[in-house]
Amino acid sequence: MSENNEKKSLGKVFFNGIIPENPTFRLVLGTCPTLAVTTSALNGLGMGAAATFVLVCSNIAISLLRKFIPDQVRIPAFIVVICTFVTMVQLLMKAFLPSLDESLGIFIPLIVVNCIILARAEAFASKNGPVASAFDGLGMGLGFTLALTLMGSIRELIGNGSVFGWNLLGASYEPMLLIVLASGGFLTFGLLMGLVNLIVKKFERKRAEKEAQAA
Amino acid sequence: MSLRISTAPHMHNPLTTQRLMQFVFIALLPTAAWGVYAFGFSALLVLLLSMASAVAAEFVWQKIAKQPVRVGDFSALVTGLILGLNLPATAPWWMVIIGSAFAIIIVKQLFGGLGDNFLNPALAARAVLLASWPVHMTASACVNPTFFQAGVDAVSTATPLGAPGTFTLTQLFLGQCPGAIGEVSKAAILLGFLFLLLTGVISWRIPVITVCSVYVCTMLIGGADWQGALAAVLSGGVLFGSVFMATDYVTSPITPWGQVIYAVLIGLIITLIRLFGSYPEGVTYGILLMNIATPLIDRLPRTIYGVKKEAKKA
Amino acid sequence: MLTKTFKRGIHPLHSSHEGKGPTRDLETREYVSDTVVISMAMNIGAPAKPCVKKGDHVDIGQVIGEAQGFMSVPVHASVSGEVIAVDQVPSLGAGNMTAVTIKNDFAETWVELHPLGRVENVDPAKVIPAIQAAGITGMGGASFPTHVKLTFKPGATCDTIVVNGAECETHLTADYRLMLEHSVRIVDGLRAVMRALNVKKGIIGIEDNKPEAIEAMRKAAQGREGVSVQPLKTKYPQGGEKQLIEAITGRQVPSGGLPIDCHVVVLNVGTCAAIADAVIDGKPLISRICTVTGCVRQPSNLLVRIGTITEDIIGACGGYSETPGKVVFGGMMTGICIPNDQMAIMKSTNGVVVLNEKQARSKNESPCIHCGRCVQACPIGLNPYQIKVAADKSDFESAKKLHVMDCILCGSCAYQCPSRRWLTPSFKFCKDHITAEAKAKAAAEAAKGGANK
Repeated sequence: MSENNEKKSLGKVFFNGIIPENPTFRLVLGTCPTLAVTTSALNGLGMGAAATFVLVCSNIAISLLRKFIPDQVRIPAFIVVICTFVTMVQLLMKAFLPSLDESLGIFIPLIVVNCIILARAEAFASKNGPVASAFDGLGMGLGFTLALTLMGSIRELIGNGSVFGWNLLGASYEPMLLIVLASGGFLTFGLLMGLVNLIVKKFERKRAEKEAQAA
Repeated sequence: MSLRISTAPHMHNPLTTQRLMQFVFIALLPTAAWGVYAFGFSALLVLLLSMASAVAAEFVWQKIAKQPVRVGDFSALVTGLILGLNLPATAPWWMVIIGSAFAIIIVKQLFGGLGDNFLNPALAARAVLLASWPVHMTASACVNPTFFQAGVDAVSTATPLGAPGTFTLTQLFLGQCPGAIGEVSKAAILLGFLFLLLTGVISWRIPVITVCSVYVCTMLIGGADWQGALAAVLSGGVLFGSVFMATDYVTSPITPWGQVIYAVLIGLIITLIRLFGSYPEGVTYGILLMNIATPLIDRLPRTIYGVKKEAKKA
Repeated sequence: MLTKTFKRGIHPLHSSHEGKGPTRDLETREYVSDTVVISMAMNIGAPAKPCVKKGDHVDIGQVIGEAQGFMSVPVHASVSGEVIAVDQVPSLGAGNMTAVTIKNDFAETWVELHPLGRVENVDPAKVIPAIQAAGITGMGGASFPTHVKLTFKPGATCDTIVVNGAECETHLTADYRLMLEHSVRIVDGLRAVMRALNVKKGIIGIEDNKPEAIEAMRKAAQGREGVSVQPLKTKYPQGGEKQLIEAITGRQVPSGGLPIDCHVVVLNVGTCAAIADAVIDGKPLISRICTVTGCVRQPSNLLVRIGTITEDIIGACGGYSETPGKVVFGGMMTGICIPNDQMAIMKSTNGVVVLNEKQARSKNESPCIHCGRCVQACPIGLNPYQIKVAADKSDFESAKKLHVMDCILCGSCAYQCPSRRWLTPSFKFCKDHITAEAKAKAAAEAAKGGANK
């Protein structure tokens, strides 16, 4: 497993998280913040950025410590590391972005138990070097951020007529309230997941065809 | 000489899916006619638009998805009509189209098309519209002034459920009260029910038990007297929902006992939402919730010839 | 008149008397053809071995095929005349099969017969061998050798013999005519079996749409100890073995078991009459009543010799009235299509129904709408729509868990389905596959066991 990953180029490790193994749409990890905070594009972006920061930092730290952490207590150890960074993010946000902090609320401290972060620590950082881990964290984080921002934009557009606060659909638009409610979150999530799977499948089929032609 | 070969049976009951859907469509006509009479020309527009957009949505989707086009089986038309009857006559045109498209594409086709939807498409669309544009959905219809007896305002905002006691039982029964296009006239709904029973499209179980369940639950839980309970049955969409929507084949249980459980629980949920929920009406959610429970109810064990009960457990 | 029945079931073509109208009141007439083609095939068990050759002269009732093993019965010549061919002909469901073709000389000469005498005095031990020697197999459709049915495995007991006169299939009136015209024979056959097995109770079950048959059988059964007639509600598949047992005795055949597991033996009325012929007159089974109806000019109940070619039978009924699309051996619900009209009548062919092009056209499947009509129809209590989902995915394990093996392939679900889903064909495929798999597994294990030794 680890050998395989080392053979991969850093670029591949980075892009892996954006589409092929997008944590939200492909791995379906971290769905709780995905559904809860994506009522607006800004919230999605903020949540994604916070998670990316924690993910990159924790991946690097865990990768550096991977030879010292005993296998039996690795999960608690990972969580302690993650907690540290989450607390940092929380305090930074409270200080510099108080309004965003207020709208994200409990979901910032909940990054600790975000599956993506623990999963990458377990599956990647604990088996790879710090550079590769940093790239993996960045790729995964960006994938997460992109997904959240996309969902946030769509839900904000339909449910409020605006994106990032800019009104796009005019004053006469009657917003579809459902989309910014919890059920709308599930609906948007499901439809987007289906769409991404469709695109990835098409892409893969085309690649397979090309390879078959080349061979 | 060439003869055809096939496996038995070599004949079929003449009743087809298409015919069943046509029967349901016919059964809905009295209700629709009454709605148009009571609410005026705008109601007719809503109904026509909802049917046309439902059929168009199905056609477009099946073309895009490269599936065989099955618009001819009448099911999309019936869905469109039921959705239209669930809307107030004042519904804006775009809301009708969104509702139809949601019902057909998201609820029906994305889950596999006819027979594979886990919710009643028209009802799910109604729930979505209700959550999205509550003002439009609860706005009371402008009603045909000549139809109403003197003394009742042509434009009234209080639905029977919003203001109990405003209407007499006779007014409720004849549909001389505001509400969605199809749900007001109980007499026309009963006519449609009779037609469905006589043609054997549905059994009496789900509609009758649902209505009885609402009646009994309103008495037992709400402490209403017989008149109050009867008013509860005649108000809102209980009759329309239990006859035309709870009986949807795809989303209701198949076995007789399963249907009994399903209908009793629908009545219970409707009453609980009406009495204790924040919505005045609970028919939509009562039926939708039990739609979701249907696959579970269908798993109830049945007695199979020659299979002993002990043997089944093992 | 108290009528009994089973749970669920359907009423195919109820309004038009199940298509029985044209032949119901027609007396049976005999038809003997120029040539007969007698197949050596057995539905179950090894095919018989031909013991005549081309050019031989045979008499009626002469053995022309020897039984091979216990599951097999001898084959008899059904006409007198010259054997003109012993060769391979196509047979239903079994590929090519050896058959003996006999040119009829219309001399109607019989071989020497060995009757056992009156039923009252017959030696019980001789009845079952006589049945085997007469080549009797079930005449209701399954063609199971009757002597095998009447020979129980150790420990099994039988207290009731049920005679199947329900004739719930559409279009067929062969059993009805038999009950009217030969009621005493049927009762005699039943009594012979009761005597052979020392059973005290024999019940003849008849659907209540045949009151004349009930009356005739009651008269024949009068004064015969232990024999009674039970009217049954007219409902398909009332004549299914399991449904008949449930209706008449209130017992159920255990899943995967045989009627004898609930102490019952079921015989068709035709089989009973054949048994009477074999015991009282010593005559083998050489002819049967066959209803010819549908698109033929002159629908009839024909007494035909085993081995008569379908084309000749149709000719005897005035020929086709329309271009035939399908010709079915048996009724519309469970009958078997024949590939061309050169097929010969077998011991179990109770009817020939000709369908026109329009009736023969197969319908396209449309999606299941979960209307539940199949569930309301299934006489066994299965959920056909669920089994069909499993069958479409070739998920035989799930199908088995949904009790597909208990399906009797009556076709009720497929008849009722508004989406025209191919339910029964799917279930037949499932059952055949599962049976074949089990057989292969058993064979593999046997081979392994053999290798270990």
